[in-house]
Formats: sequence, structure tokens, C-alpha cells
Amino acid sequence: MKQSVFPSKFLPYLLLLPTFLVLTTFLFYPAFETFRLSFYKVNPYTGANKFAGLYNFKKLFQNADYGHSFVISIIFCLLVVVLGLILSLALALLLNQNIKGAKVYRTLMIWPYALSPAIAGALFNFLFNPANGIVCFFTGHYDWMTQGFSAFIVVALAATWKNMGYNIVFYLTALRNVPADSLEAAAIDGAGPFKRFSKITFAFISPTTFFLLVMNTTYSYFASFGLIDVLTEGGPVDSTNILIYQLYKDFFVNSRIGYAAAESLVLFCIVVLLTVVQFKTTGKKVHYQ
Amino acid sequence: MKKILVLLLSIMISMTCLFANGQSEITMKKALDDKAPVTIQFWHAMSGSRIELIQGIVDNFMAENPNITVEVQYAGSYNDTLNKVKSAYKAGNAPAVFHSYEIGTLGMINSGLISPIDELAIKYGEEIDWDNFFVPVQSYYKYQGQHYSMPFNSSTPLLFYNKTLFEKAGLDANNPPETYAEVVAAAKALKASGIDTPVTWNLHGWYFEEMIALQDAPFANNDNGRGKELPTEVLFNGPAGKKVLDWWVGMYNDGLFNDVGPGWDNHRAAFSSGTAAIALSSSSDVNLFTKALNDKGWELGTGFIPHPEGSTGGVAIGGGTLWITNNLTQEQELAAVKLEKFIANDDSQKAWHKGTGYFPVTKSAMDSLENEGWFVENPNYKTAFDQLLVSPGTLNSSGSLLGVFPETRAIIQSAIQECYQGKDTQVALDEAAKKVNDLITEWNEVIQL
Repeated sequence: MKQSVFPSKFLPYLLLLPTFLVLTTFLFYPAFETFRLSFYKVNPYTGANKFAGLYNFKKLFQNADYGHSFVISIIFCLLVVVLGLILSLALALLLNQNIKGAKVYRTLMIWPYALSPAIAGALFNFLFNPANGIVCFFTGHYDWMTQGFSAFIVVALAATWKNMGYNIVFYLTALRNVPADSLEAAAIDGAGPFKRFSKITFAFISPTTFFLLVMNTTYSYFASFGLIDVLTEGGPVDSTNILIYQLYKDFFVNSRIGYAAAESLVLFCIVVLLTVVQFKTTGKKVHYQ
Repeated sequence: MKKILVLLLSIMISMTCLFANGQSEITMKKALDDKAPVTIQFWHAMSGSRIELIQGIVDNFMAENPNITVEVQYAGSYNDTLNKVKSAYKAGNAPAVFHSYEIGTLGMINSGLISPIDELAIKYGEEIDWDNFFVPVQSYYKYQGQHYSMPFNSSTPLLFYNKTLFEKAGLDANNPPETYAEVVAAAKALKASGIDTPVTWNLHGWYFEEMIALQDAPFANNDNGRGKELPTEVLFNGPAGKKVLDWWVGMYNDGLFNDVGPGWDNHRAAFSSGTAAIALSSSSDVNLFTKALNDKGWELGTGFIPHPEGSTGGVAIGGGTLWITNNLTQEQELAAVKLEKFIANDDSQKAWHKGTGYFPVTKSAMDSLENEGWFVENPNYKTAFDQLLVSPGTLNSSGSLLGVFPETRAIIQSAIQECYQGKDTQVALDEAAKKVNDLITEWNEVIQL
């Protein structure tokens, strides 16, 4: 590829300036403020603050409920990522077959992604709510959402379902790019459909799987509070109170600004750490063409 | 001679200055032209059809005060509205009038963002006849002898029961259960008649707070949060709180109570569909339940929130009030006071009541409704008033003030769920109180920064 040459030293910086301004305003400045405020006690109304050292972090780590949130967030993330990727891949494989109406099915499968988390939550509430949920009616059990374990499973399922459209789109594209001649060659060599899938298809779509692994981890940690707010409000007894929901409540409802900043910093560190680990381990096994 | 002249002159000059000062103050007051065009912002937290209802009230206000333009904005939930007001205030463009929930009262008072309505009313000679307001309404928003905000949408919890299903179970459909024991007895009869879990309400801290007020017990220390000092600890883990939960969770354990979780839809659905025959909900749900039960050919009954035998307290109100921010021009302040007075007047409150089911906040509005025969047509609307009128207006029934109320509710709700799972009510309440007390200590510190 030909490298661009700029006539002036400053021109590239000038061209980068708009992006940089946007990033500074909406990303770097808030991130810096969050970092700073996590070491302060802050008045929720006036914003007046006082340096408090590690006070917020001490409070955070001494709080048993936070430890609980920490653990269930990891389980939640594992469930959403593993279930989400397996189901999405399975569905994408089915959608990739040459069947009648495949296009219609594809569109329908991608649909859930277009819903806002609140609407997705309302739909699951329709199925599982303890007063007249449809699933409750057919199973005869009305306590899906009022028992900790089942509520957690339902929320995790809802979060998985909500993100499946996104995964399917990427998997479909990846499956389309698996070279047909490789599969054909393998078939001629006598490889059965399972072997062809595991040795060839899976290898070709591994970059997508890895990308989705990272994206779904981030999604499960950051983007599921809308669902939880509609379905359980973190209950029963904190069983669905994952870190991001607690953070949302502490900042937007409880106005504990310093404390919420500390929470957000911890959450940020977890996700960075997870992503780095994923790159160091799984990332190395990914086969790029 | 010269010295005397100098002295005289200096006296004269200083006198003139004084006089001029006095005069400039007078002219300043005169300069406040209450006919000059002025624009104010009004942010509220009422969604759906209520947006148009509020716009209608404000339109009437503007027709009466042609020089005032009010820009009305629905700003999302109470929480969203509050967060938006805080950010807008920092940016210097806060609305003149905004709507906040009752449990935010102590926070607003200490926020440094607002001017007390009483102070402004006196400043502009716009007297407010507080005696005309229902006692529980005006006493909730009175702090240290001063009213801080204008009562707007007010409601209390109410007991709703299905008269038709009561009759089927052989109960007296015209006598709703009043005490804890009577509710349990009615629930057992309803269960025997085939309703699996006859009692329900949503998981909400509000009911728990009201049930403590109904026993005339304090929720927090320092005069229920209304004393000179900020409250430092909560008292809901006392005998009154335990009595409430023993009854509430006891019904759950006996299979009489359907736990439908938080939110406002599930218990409404359960009661509307007849899977429950007794429910607690906001008095503003009268409309909704009347219609829902009518559709099924059933009749709705209403009663007071149940209380233990022999308790003497009263109900505290819930809902929201209108606050005025403190960085306005004088013209805007005056317009804001006028707007709030208009929203609390009889016509506005009657329209608001009929459109939403929230009750009017003043006695004169209620009298006027009574004269119209409104309560003959809608007897269930009267229950909320009757419940209010017997509330004694003590510090305990005025409602508790806490800076950390939203969290307190969440913590109590979690504690109740723990009790459903078998935890001892006293242990659960003590643990909840300890968590809240920690938060109060922190809040009391940061609010004074």
C-alpha cells in the first residue's frame, strides 16, 4: 500500500483535531474526572468536594454486597457469553443453509437486536411476571422472578437473547466467507460434516468468534442494566444486582458520586483485564487468513 | 467655623447617601414591573396523558397572566428530572420551577439550589393560605416552621378490595378489613372460596413507611428527620417495624400473600384479573381499578391502609411538589410563585384530580368537588380524603425526612425479600438499619461540603 505523504508537518494533526476534540470531550475528560472523583467525597447537589484518599475504595471493598455483586457479575458474564456464542453460532449455521425463506428467517433472527433493553425487559416480564406471565401460567410456577436463582437465569437468558441478533449477523458474514473449495476438498477427502465444521469452518470463523467474545464480555458487563431495571430492580435480595446495575443506582439514583466513580474505576479495570487476558490467551489461537 | 461647615457638609453628604440608598431600594421594588414580559421554564416528571393535563393548566395560567410565558417540559422520571436540574444548575440554565418527589425533600432543602416558597411568597406579597391545605399535605413539606415547596400531586396508599369476590366468600362487602387480624381473617375466607393467594401488593418501601406512621412511631431520629439537627439514624427496626413485617411476611408464609416483586404493573394485573381480591396501591389507581373491575362485571371497594389493633397514628402523603430554584431574576421569581399558586388553586386541582386520581391538596377544592356531587358518583375517591382527614399531623404522621431515602427504600425492599426467604424479621430489619445508618453518616458529611 502506498503511504500518504503530507506536505506539512501540521496538516495530519489538523486533520486529526476534530476526532481528538470529540474524544477529549466525551471520552478522555469524563474518564479523567471519574478517576479523580473516585478519590473525593462529593456533595450530590453543588458538586463541592473534598479529597478523601482511598475512602471510597475502602467502603467499596468492605461492603459484602459489593463482593456478592462482583461474583454474580462474573457468572452472569460467563453465562451470557458462552450461551450467546453457542446459540448464535448454531442459529447462524442453520440460517446459512439453502432453504426456502432463509432471508425471512435471517431478518427475524436479527430483530431482537433492534429492541431497546427496556422493551426486551418488558417482553420477558410479559412471559415471566408473577401475576400473569405466560410461562408462569403454562408451567404452574409463578415465582420465576421472585426466587433468586430463577430470576438470575431469566435475566441472563434475556440478556443473551437480546444480543443474539448482533452475534448472528457477524457469524453469518463469517460463514459466508468460509471458502467453499476448502470444504469441498475436505468432503472429497472423506471428512464428515462434524469434522468439516470443527476443522475448517470453525478455524475460518475464529477471528469473528474472538471478536464476539470480547464484544459480548463488554456487553454483559456494561449494557444490561436496562433489562435488570425493568425485570427485577436488582432483586430478589440482590441476586441480579450485577456491578453495572449497582453502579447505575449509586450514581443516578443515590447520587453517591465519589463512591460511584470508584465503582466505575473498578469495573473499568476488570473489563480491561479480561480483554487483555482474552488477547493473550484466546487471541493467540485465532487463525487469521 | 470652617470645621463646622465641613462637619455639616459631611453629615449632609452621608445623609443624602443614606436617603439615596433608601430611595434606590424603593425604586428597585417599583422597577419590578409585574406586567413586564417574562419567560420561565417548568420541568415536571409526569408522563403520558398527564403531560397534556399539565400543559392545559399552564395554558390557563398564561391566559390569565398574558405577560408570563411558561415553557413546560416533561423531563423524565423524578430521578431524571432531578439529575437534569442539577446539571442545568451547574451550567447556569436551571428551570425556574421543577417537580420533585416527596422523599427528595430533605435533599432539596439542603441542596443550595432552591428558595423556600414561603420566603418568596412573603418577599413578593403573594400570600399562601396554608390553612386551606390538608394538614398531612402541608405538614409534610413544612420543615422548621417553613414551607419549602408547593404541594402538587399527592396520593396515599389505599386498600382496594373486590366486593364481588368478597360476597362470594361470604364476607361483608361493605366493611373492608381494617386491622391486621381482620385482613388475615378475610384472606383466609377468600382462600377457602378458591382464590389461591388473595392478598397482594408490589414490593415497595412506601407501604412499610406508611404502616410505621400509622402506628405513630418514628422512622428516623431527631424528630423523624424534622428536627434542628439532621437525622443520624433510622428507627424503623423498632417494635412498629417488626409488627408490620411479622404480619406482612406472615401472610406470605401462610400462602395468603402473592409476592409480585417490585414495579407497579404486576399487582395491578393480579388484582384486575381477580387472582387477588385485596390489594394495596396508590390512591391514584382508583380510576384504573374501577374500570378494570367494571370490565369484568365486578365492583370495586376501597378502605384505609390496615393497621394493628389499637394503633393511633395517621397516614403520611406521598407524591411530588414544585420547587423554585434560587438563581432567578426577580420577575422570574414572582412569575414562578404565581405559577405555583395557580397550580394549587381549586380549578387546577379539580382538573388534576379528575384527570389523574391524585387528590386535590386543598380543602376548598374538595368542598367544591363535594358540592358538585362528584363523590356521589365516585364514592371510592372519597376514601383517600377520609383517610387523610383522620391523620393527626404529628411528626410521625407528617412523614419522615431522610437524605438517603431512595437507597433506604431499596435496602428495606431487599430486607423484606430476605424475610420471604426465611430470615428473621428483626434480624433483617436490624441489618437494614445498620446499612442505612452508614449511608446517613456519609450523607450528613458530604451535604455540608
